[in-house]
Amino acid sequence: MFGQANVLAAGQAAFPPSVDDFYLPAILPWGAENAPWFTKFTLMVWIAVGVLIIFFLATYRKPQLVPTKKQWLAESIYGFVRNNISVDMIGHQGVRFAPYFTTLFCFVLLTNSFAIIPFFQISPNSHIAFPAILAVISYVLFNYIGIRHHGFGKYFKHALIPPAPWYILPLLIPIEAFSTFIIRPFSLAVRLFANMFAGHMLLLVFTLGGFAMLNANAWLAPVSVVSWVMTVALTLLEALVIVLQAYVFTVLSASYIQGALAEEH
Amino acid sequence: MADDQTPRPAGEPDDYPSGAGQGWTALSYLVGGMLVWGFIGWLVDQWLDTGGVATGIGVVLGMAGGVILVIRRLGTPT
Repeated sequence: MFGQANVLAAGQAAFPPSVDDFYLPAILPWGAENAPWFTKFTLMVWIAVGVLIIFFLATYRKPQLVPTKKQWLAESIYGFVRNNISVDMIGHQGVRFAPYFTTLFCFVLLTNSFAIIPFFQISPNSHIAFPAILAVISYVLFNYIGIRHHGFGKYFKHALIPPAPWYILPLLIPIEAFSTFIIRPFSLAVRLFANMFAGHMLLLVFTLGGFAMLNANAWLAPVSVVSWVMTVALTLLEALVIVLQAYVFTVLSASYIQGALAEEH
Repeated sequence: MADDQTPRPAGEPDDYPSGAGQGWTALSYLVGGMLVWGFIGWLVDQWLDTGGVATGIGVVLGMAGGVILVIRRLGTPT
C-alpha cells in the first residue's frame, strides 16, 4: 500500500486511468501479471461468502424472543427483503423465494461495498463475469419456476404470445422473445457491472487526477485538493449507488419471477 | 420466519408487473423492438442489396411493435 502511495507521489501512476487498472496482479503466484487463478477478486468473493455465512450463522445460533442487536440486524435485513421485495413484487407466494433474494441482496450489497471499503477499494462486480453469473442464476431460476408452474408449452405460450389480434402477432413475437430471453439477463448483468465499473473509474480519475496536477505544476496544488474533495463526495455518491444497485438487481429478479408465475389475463 | 405462509385475500392484483419491473419491461420492449426488426431488416438488406431501406423500415416497424406491446402488456391491467 505504501508502495502505491510512493508511486503516486513520484508521478509514475498512469493518468488517465484505463481498463488495465481493473486487472490487478495475482496474489498467487505473488505479483504475476495475467495469472487468473487466485487474484484479489477471488479473495474478495470468498471473503464475502465467508462473512455472510458466519454473520447469519452467528446471529441465528440462539434466536431470542427479545432479539439481541446482531439478531435484530439480521432479522431486519431478512424482513426487509421478504416484505419489501418478495411479498411486494410477487405476492404471498413470494415468501418461498425470500431466502434466495436475501442471499442475492446481501451478496451483491457486500461485494459492491468493497468498492469503497479501505484496502479492498474495488468491487468484484466491476468485472462483467461476476454480475453475469448472478444474472444467469436469476435467469435459470425464473425460467425453471415458470416451466414448473405452467408446464413447458404453456409457459412459453404465455411468455411469447401477447394479448393482441393475430395479424400483428408475427411482428410482436420476435420482440417478446428478444426482450424476455435475451435483453433481461443481459441488462441485469450489464446494469450492475456498468455502475460498479463507472464508479471505480470515477474515483480513479479524481484521485489520480489530483496527483497528476500536483506533479505537473506546484501552482495546481489547490486544484488537486479540490479534486480530492471531489473524491470524498463521489465516495458518498458511490455508497448510494452500491445500495441502490443491490436493491435494483434483487427487485428485478423478483419481478422476472413474478412474471413467470403470473396467470394469463 | 420463512414459514409464514398465511394466505392473503384472493383477488389481489398479483398478476401484473409493478414499479421498477414495469419500467424496465417497457424500456426493453421499445429497445428490443427496434433491435430485432432492425436486424431482420438489415438481413433483408444484405440479401436483396437494397442499401439500407429495409433496415429503416424494420426499425420503424420494430418501434411500432414495441409501442403496441407496451400498451397491450402494461397499459390495461385488468
